[in-house]
Amino acid sequence: MKNITKKQKIVFAIIALIIIVGAVITLTIGLNFDLRYEETKRVELYLGKDFEVSDIKEITNETIPDQSVIIQKVEVFEDSVRIIAKEITEEQKQNLVNKINEKYETEIEADSTEIVTIPHTRGRDIVKPYIIPFTIATIITLVYMAVRYKKLGIAKTVLKTVIVSIIAQALLLSVIAITRIPIGRLTIPMVIAVYLLTLIGMTTKFEKELGIKKEKENKNKK
Amino acid sequence: MKKVKILTIILAIVLVTMIAFGGVYIQVQNRMSDKVKDYSYAMDLKGSRNIRLKVDDSTNTIIKDSEGNEVEETEELTDEQLAEKGYTKEETPANSQDILTEENYTKSKNIIEKRLKKLGVDNYIIKLDKQTGDIVIEIPENDQTDSVVSNIGTPGNFEIIDTETKEVLMDNNDIKLSNVMYGSDSTTGTTSSGTAVYLNIEFTKEGAKKLEDISNKYVKTESTDNTENTENAENTENTENTESSEETATEETTEKTITMKIDDQEVMTTSFDETIKTGEMQLSIGSSTTDSKTLQNYVEQASSMAIVLDNGEIPVKYEVSENEYVLSDITNNELKIVVYVMAVIVAIALIILVIRYKVFGLLSAVSYVGLASIFVLVIRYANVVLSIEGIFGIAIVLILNYIFINKLLSKLKDEKVDDKTVTNKTKETYKEFFIKIVPICIAVITFCFINWSPISSFGMVMFWGIALIALYNFIVTNSILKIKASK
Repeated sequence: MKNITKKQKIVFAIIALIIIVGAVITLTIGLNFDLRYEETKRVELYLGKDFEVSDIKEITNETIPDQSVIIQKVEVFEDSVRIIAKEITEEQKQNLVNKINEKYETEIEADSTEIVTIPHTRGRDIVKPYIIPFTIATIITLVYMAVRYKKLGIAKTVLKTVIVSIIAQALLLSVIAITRIPIGRLTIPMVIAVYLLTLIGMTTKFEKELGIKKEKENKNKK
Repeated sequence: MKKVKILTIILAIVLVTMIAFGGVYIQVQNRMSDKVKDYSYAMDLKGSRNIRLKVDDSTNTIIKDSEGNEVEETEELTDEQLAEKGYTKEETPANSQDILTEENYTKSKNIIEKRLKKLGVDNYIIKLDKQTGDIVIEIPENDQTDSVVSNIGTPGNFEIIDTETKEVLMDNNDIKLSNVMYGSDSTTGTTSSGTAVYLNIEFTKEGAKKLEDISNKYVKTESTDNTENTENAENTENTENTESSEETATEETTEKTITMKIDDQEVMTTSFDETIKTGEMQLSIGSSTTDSKTLQNYVEQASSMAIVLDNGEIPVKYEVSENEYVLSDITNNELKIVVYVMAVIVAIALIILVIRYKVFGLLSAVSYVGLASIFVLVIRYANVVLSIEGIFGIAIVLILNYIFINKLLSKLKDEKVDDKTVTNKTKETYKEFFIKIVPICIAVITFCFINWSPISSFGMVMFWGIALIALYNFIVTNSILKIKASK
């Protein structure tokens, strides 16, 4: 059994601590989801003319303050706007409509504008489509590693790769949970980045070990 | 001569870069139009079709006779006439209260999700409001979207009933699977009249037994050469074929017939020539044809029916209350910012390369820009659909290429360099670099085959990027460094 240095022990302890804290936060408070995946309120307004998202953004900053808002153009003519926020009150809707009427000289009636509830997306529904691709890729990679680094021991190589991959992903999720980074569009690229880095890291390590082993074998032969 | 060669390569790279990032503009109808193909964007960058399926709260009016049996064909009767006949009107909700449960809402959502997968939708977001039962779906906007929308809300209720007594003989629970089959049809011996499309329904063990019993019971007393095709054609709205089939059909007498219904629409009324023991039923969709467009149309019809039947019946009746195309909230300006940030990072990295490796660094930097330019052109012409993950893939390819070039240059730094050294060091770098990224290559190739656009976009971008790193650096970077190093 390889001796673990003091420095390594500290690193392992920090990683374990982060993962435990992350798990506790995930189980108690839960993860912080992006507005796209949260339960939200939405209003849709027909302007009947071209508009800039940045102009609408200014209006929403005034009427729906301290909230992140999604603004989207609707349909091919792009003359309607969809405003999505975590919470939109009747008063905020009224102000929003008034400001838009003022800016675009439209006659939108707040009473005929409905606040629609958009349900949340379940976390498992976000993750589900990625499970099979990552599983297949990992299995094939493990087979490759087992063959390429069989001299280092098949079980050792496979186990190390699996454990390091799991720890790396758990660490990422824990950091996301602790820092309250919203689960959203950048989460999957982050997962992919960690996945690829883990694979490169493991390959580099195994290549190095293989090189040393081959060198030793050559020396013994001589 | 050496300088001319290097200059030629550099000019070629400049030209490709100008095409890739500037475009090729040609005047078309008093307007300058870029002839370079545009990027294809995925749902997260382009926009999506947003559909809201609302729980149907309407009511249906049913007319019943004095004995409480449902009476059909009473649309033209006035209230007085109904009263005269002793008929009564009853209002029944489309969804009874006992159906409106969280369990049924979840089941409906799961069935819709299965249908989306079967319909080949490569990216979707599905949300369920557990209180109201409403389902909100976001799917990519393309030629198939309308067809997908029409299929996802369909209840998929399948029934085989006794035409006379209306007794339900078989339903969705008896279906094991449903798919589309093809067969060549011949009218006169050896002369083929084209390909026929069939909707194949395979029944469960119990269903197969029921079908056997039904096909035994509902049998024709006088059989003719008229087959199911004629009857089925009637039901696929192929009027032309129906007419011709009706003309050729010989008279027949049947004792009892069954009616097959999908979503309360009669698909066919028929009896059986022989006992069906296989537990499978093939319904021909339209007539056999050699016309590819007609055939495509039949295939689409059959596929839609197969997908709807294959995934079971949606327990709750829904209506499409919202169906609109919504653009992405990521604007072009935001995308431009990402591109500019990437360009600045690349520029800084290349400056570092030039400072560290002087002339070789400069030539490699020029070569690097060439690779980036060809890469964005390849992405466009290889029809790679770009998603956020795809953009991330571009960034990774650029990083990998930088690592490759840096590795190669670091090997050449402390050497007395001639063209042979460059070749040897390039080979060495290739070996070291590609051995390390084999697992990435495996993941990338796997991702290319996945029918989920964010992941396949990443896979495709990375695939072309890695292929380009391998080819381009061998052809261009290696050559340019060799020319410079040659005496």
